[in-house]
Formats: sequence, C-alpha cells, structure tokens
Amino acid sequence: MSVLTVLSQTRQKVGDIKFFIPFASGALAFVVGAIILASAGVDVGNAYATLFRGAFGSVFGFGDVLLKTISLLLAGLAVSVAFRCRQWNIGAEGQLYMGALGGTIVGISVLGAIPGLGILAVIAASAIFGALFALVPALLKVKFGVNEVISTVLLNFVALLFIAFLLHGPIKAPGFNPYSPEIAEESQMPVIIPGTRVHAGLIIAAIATVGVYYLWKTKIGFEIRSVGANIKAARYVGMNVGKSVLVTMAISGGLAGIAGGLLVSGVQHILIEGISPGYGFVAVIIALLGRQHPLGVAIVAFFFSVLMTGSETMYRSLGIPGAFSMTLQALVLVFVLVGGLFVIWLNKRNGRGVR
Amino acid sequence: MDYSTVPSGAPILQMNGITIRFGDVVANNKVNFELRKGEVHALLGENGAGKTTLMSVLYGLYQPQEGETIIKGQKTSIKSPNDAMDLGIAMVHQHFLLTLPHSVTENIVVGLKSNGFFLDLSSAERKIKQLSEMYGLKIDPKAIVGDLAVGEQQRVEIIKALYRDADILILDEPTSMLTPQEEKSLFSTLQSMVSQGLSIIFITHKLREVMEASNRVTVLRGGKVVGTVSTSETNETELAKMMVGRTVVESIQSKATSRNPDVLQLKNVSALNNANIMFLKDLSLELRKGEIFGIAGVDGNGQAELAEVVAGLRKVQGGEIIMDNQLITNLPPRKIRQWGLAYVPQDRLETGLILEYSISENLILDRWYTDEYSGKIFLKQGEMREFAKKVVTDFEVKTPGIDLPVNSMSGGNLQKVLMARELARNPKVLVVHNPTRGLDIGAAEYIHKQIVKQRDNGVGVLMISLDLDEILTVCDRIAVIYEGKILAVMDRKDADVEQIGLMMGGKVVVSKEGTS
Repeated sequence: MSVLTVLSQTRQKVGDIKFFIPFASGALAFVVGAIILASAGVDVGNAYATLFRGAFGSVFGFGDVLLKTISLLLAGLAVSVAFRCRQWNIGAEGQLYMGALGGTIVGISVLGAIPGLGILAVIAASAIFGALFALVPALLKVKFGVNEVISTVLLNFVALLFIAFLLHGPIKAPGFNPYSPEIAEESQMPVIIPGTRVHAGLIIAAIATVGVYYLWKTKIGFEIRSVGANIKAARYVGMNVGKSVLVTMAISGGLAGIAGGLLVSGVQHILIEGISPGYGFVAVIIALLGRQHPLGVAIVAFFFSVLMTGSETMYRSLGIPGAFSMTLQALVLVFVLVGGLFVIWLNKRNGRGVR
Repeated sequence: MDYSTVPSGAPILQMNGITIRFGDVVANNKVNFELRKGEVHALLGENGAGKTTLMSVLYGLYQPQEGETIIKGQKTSIKSPNDAMDLGIAMVHQHFLLTLPHSVTENIVVGLKSNGFFLDLSSAERKIKQLSEMYGLKIDPKAIVGDLAVGEQQRVEIIKALYRDADILILDEPTSMLTPQEEKSLFSTLQSMVSQGLSIIFITHKLREVMEASNRVTVLRGGKVVGTVSTSETNETELAKMMVGRTVVESIQSKATSRNPDVLQLKNVSALNNANIMFLKDLSLELRKGEIFGIAGVDGNGQAELAEVVAGLRKVQGGEIIMDNQLITNLPPRKIRQWGLAYVPQDRLETGLILEYSISENLILDRWYTDEYSGKIFLKQGEMREFAKKVVTDFEVKTPGIDLPVNSMSGGNLQKVLMARELARNPKVLVVHNPTRGLDIGAAEYIHKQIVKQRDNGVGVLMISLDLDEILTVCDRIAVIYEGKILAVMDRKDADVEQIGLMMGGKVVVSKEGTS
C-alpha cells in the first residue's frame, strides 16, 4: 500500500478517532523530536520554548509565520486540487518557479508599471505561467498516458535550471549577482500589517481557500471529484476524463504559480535562484495531512509555517540546524501515516472496511 | 444418480453451537452442522446467510467465539488452513487458485512439504493419472492450465485436494462458472467420490442443484440454521421457503413482440478485447421495442465487450450500431445516453457507482450538467436531495441516510440506486449486465419487476446474464453468445435448456429456427 493510497483512503471521514489522529501525530512528533534533541545534548525545554517564542513571541516573528503561510497555503491548495482528481502533481515547486518567472517578466516590463494594474497583471501572469507549465505533464498524460508523477518531478528540474539560465543571462540585472532587475513599484504587493512583512497576498490566499471549498460544489468540480474518486464510473456516465485532468492541472499549476508570483511581488521584488526553499515539495505533505480539504490544508500550512519560522529562531539563538524543522515535519507525516493504517486495521477488524 | 438414501453411521464432522460475531453483526448464531462419511451435504442459503463464514471456521480462517468442532470423533481447534489440510479438509474456492502459465502437475504439487530440492514430476504425474482414473476426472497432467476450459481447471483444483489426501471436500458455489454439460460431469464426479468414501460439503444458493446432487441439505438464514433435511424428503418449493422465509415462485409472462419495430440493431460489429484480440466477430442482433432480449453464455465470450460497444465505452472496429434510427457507432458515451440509452454494468461497485459519494451524488452522476440539477456554475443541492428522497421512497432503498456515503449499503440496495438512476433517464434501450448477481432472492425479484415494467412501457431491454435460470425466467427472446458470435436466437417458449447448454459450449445445433 503506498503512502498516497493510505492517506487518500482516510480522507474526508471526520469523526470519532480519525479526527484526533493529526493532533496526536503532531504531539508524538514533538515527543520524538525531544528525544532527538536530548540525545544531541540540547536543553529540550529551552529549545522548544525558543521555537514557539520565535513564532509567537514578537509581532515581526508572527508576521513571518503568516508570510510563510501564504506560500505554503497556496502551494498546498494547488497540490490538493490535483490530488482530488487523483493527479499526483509533485511538480508544484517547478510550477511555483515558473509563476515567479511570469510575475517577474511582467513586473519589469512597462505593463508592471501601470498604476493600479501592475499588481493584477503580475498575479495574472504568474497564474498563467504556472498553469501552462502544469499543462505540459497533463497533456502528456492525456495524449500519451505518461505517468504524471515522473513527468512532474522531472519538470521541477527543468523549471529551476531554465530560471537559473535566464538569471545568468537574458534577464540578469547589471552587476555581479545572478538576480533579475527589481520589479516596478506598481507591481509590488503592499504590506498590510505594519511592522511585519505580511503583504496583501494573505488576502489572495484566503480567497483561494474559500474558492477551492466552493470549487467542489460546482459542475466542473463535481466532474473532477468524480474522475478522482472512480475513473471507470466517470467514463461510464459520459464524463470527459481528459478535460477534467487538463482543467485540474491548470487550476493546480495556476495556484502554485500565484504562490511563486507573490514571492516576487510581495517579498523579494526580484527573481533569484533560491526564491522558494522547497515550498512546492512541503506542499505535497501539507495536502496529504490536510486530507485535501481546504480548511485542513490551511491549518496544516499554518502549523508547518510555525515550525519553519520557529526553527529559524532556534538556529539563530541555539545553533540547532534548520534540518530539525524538516525532521519534525517528516515525523508528523510518519505518525499520521501510521494512524491511517491504524484506522484501516480497525475497520478490517470490525469487519466493515473492505467490501 | 442415487441420492435417495442418507449414509448412516457416525458423523465424520460435527460443528456444535458455532457463533461468530463481527462487531455487532452475528454472522453465525449457534450453528449446528453435521457431515457423515460418504454423503454430499448441501449448504443452502442466500448471500449473507452465513454459509461462507461457517466454512471459513472449518477451514481455519476464523476462530469462533463459541462452539466446538469435532472431526472423526476428536475435538479439534483449527487455527489455520494448514491445520485444516492436516486434518484432511480441503476447499475448492469459487475463484480458482491456479497459476495459468504452469502445467497441471506443477499446479498440483506446488507447496507440498514432501517436495525435495528437485521436483519429481514424473511420479507426481503417475499419481495424478491414478486419481483421475479413480474418480473419472479426465485431465492431461502435462497440459498448461491457462489452455484449459473452466470446467477442466476446476478438476485440477479437485485433484489438488485429493492429492493431499483430503477426505472432506468443501466446494464453494462450484457451478457458478460452468456450462450445463460441465455441471453434469462435475455432479457425476461428486457421485463417484462419495461412493469411494469421501465426504463433500456443497455450498450453493441454487435449489435445483441441491435436489440433483445431495443427500442432505442444511439451510441457513440470517446466520441461523433453519433446518437439516434429507433431500429425498423435500422439494424446491419447501427449500425456497426455508431459505427466504416465505414462498417465492417467480413467474414472468413472456410477450410476443414479432410486430414491434427494432429499437437497437448491431450489424456485423467487431471489436477488440482488453488484450487487443478481436473478440466480437461480425456480431449482429436486433432488439425490438417492448421486449427483453437475453444473451446467454459462459463468462468471457464477449458479453462485457458487447455491452461496452453499445454504451460507447469500447471502440467498434467494424460494422455499425443503430439505435432508434440513429447511427451511434463510436459516438461518445454521453451522446449515446442522451439519445436514449440506459446501462446497468455488471460491476456495480467498480463502475456503476462511486462508493464514497452519497445517494444524491450518485443519482446525478450522469446528469450533473443538466439545468435540472445544475445552475450556471453550482450544483443544485436542494434538487439533488429531493431526487434522492424520491428514489429512496419509490425503490424502497434501505439506507442509514441519504447524505452518507453509499459504501455502507448492501448490494441489493446499491443495485436499486443504480437502477433508479438509469431508469430515471426514461430510456429507449436498457442494457443490463448480470443485474442480479450477488443479490438475494428478494432483491433479485424486485430488480426483475423493474425490468419487466420497463418492457411493458415499450423499452427494449438487452439482458446479458451468466445465470441461465434468470434468462429463462425473464426474457422474451434468447440468444446464445459464444466466442464473440451470436450462435442462435429463439423465443422463450421454444427454448430448450439442453440445446442452449450445448451452444454455450460452442456446439452449433441446427435447429428449425436456424441461426442468425
């Protein structure tokens, strides 16, 4: 049984024991994390206190939590939309980078300097770039049956290397570093909480969350869900499976693209090679842990953002490496996975699991 | 065959007060069962009556919470199938456990403890030959299992059991895949096995088989034993009453339809199967308005392919399909449905329904895009619920709630939801494939009534079924399919079981009706 199977089987069935698994997993991850820290000779209490102080201890720190949440939430939603259609899009990172590229190209052009329109053009461009890039594996899948897991994983490298090439040549700003020129001021997301770096992208992420919730209640959303739940049944009742896959991947890539566009427009204002520290990969875990439900994805995205922000503080003040935050994330996933297997085992034991 | 007496003597197997609970469900409730040496004992009951559970206890797959099992006078506890085999108990499952690319002998000796480092196939072959002569189980030990017919594969399974010195043989629905001829030969094998001292438990839900091939019968209903009777002292009506708790004699009037116009025509249709082999070969048939046209045949002779080409789910390679004067060859499924097709596929769980969806979502699965259930953007939840409520009342669907996933519902109720959705289309043509497979008698009867109602309203019904009894009960005209071809078409009143059976096995009979 694959990871994806286990987690998608237990999706959506909130109630009794299943509901507590994510919380119990989070707690257990911290317990095991404590053992790891203690065995490295670290004062566990101090380390965790630092982690939470980093995330919640100051307005600026909490602002950074919200800032990371924007990226993680949008990327997580992107992956979760694809997963609902059983399209295992592991390429959110690449789509995010292409979105960042789209936003940058518009932002440094005349279009980006139009007052009031610049920001909208940047967001639209990043969505379109992300969507188009996600349509490549989608078309390969629909036309030739190419497995999207492999194609999306590999296209991540294509995107990253393509952008590296551009930054070292065609769109390189004058100077030593491989950076793009700064985008026009009219293309930059305004900060909405003074004293922090939190920008208006938070509102976009919130709208996207609500949008995905309602997407599943629409005609096309129903078609996508049906293809994901049972492709044979969908084909049999006359649904257009190919169209559903293309639409799904376009939405997915578009959301990831916006996440990338916002990193340029809201945070860096230039395009650089490492603009995302792997948000698109963490998004896969977030989508799985959030059970592909927009609210679940939002909660997990926030939680992961706390971990990432807090561990940066741990690194700065205690020297605990950033890898520890990744360890915690992975532990949560492992425990949720075990919990999922536990539920399947319970169902089987009670004789009502598998028909 | 002589099943008129019951062998006397001590029982070889006794199961006393067996109780098995799965959660709140009692699958076996204080079940008593007894098997004597040299008898064929039928275990009769509807689906879910507890037959398989009881036999799984005997085969070591489940441990009972209460009760004891006594074999050859010894109280035993059977913890695994290995224990069962050591005690001389063998089970022939409904779906065979054979590896197709290997020979008969290899399949039989696989897993034996007595095998050394090198297999001694030639002495195994000798023993197999001996067994096959002793019990009249004709088989070539060197043949590749994949090349054998279903009936022959079953013989391999039986020899496998005998090879392991089993003297108690459990046969789980052994006739479900056989032609009438193969069935006959199986029954004569059973006869010769019991006459040489073996004892056989025969799980079935078919009354005719019980009457034909058993000494005694134990009837289960709802996990309890209704009674054990000698076959010679009972009849089909009485057994049916015991099995379902009331008298069921299904009789459906057939209708003469020769003057009705055709509503569906297949002209020389050919199509590939999933392995890209031409599986339908120049198949032609005409379905008239207001009739039920049955397709009989052994599984795997093109039935699924036939249903799928009509529904647009499989590409037609040659020929044409005309529905209600419109050419529908290779149109997309949605177009064909809009022109008047309703289709109930055989695998209601894998294809017909989405199990994690609610009843209302399943009901609009084929019409989610229509103005009735969808606005410009959003689905109309209110209308969907109304539709679901109406179906639940009209079709007497038993459900814990219309908003819950349907995967908690029973097979019969799932089939009702599926039928309801398809019939709500007001179709011109209704294709049903194994519509009552796995359903209990009550649910099957209900489904048949719905199909007949459609016929009486002028719908042309194409019924593809592996259950010959069903076809003979329900259909107005009957065709036999063999290797992707229709061998003959006949009215029900002219239908002769013997003849249909021969044709299902590929023997073309020149009859006065002629072939089509």
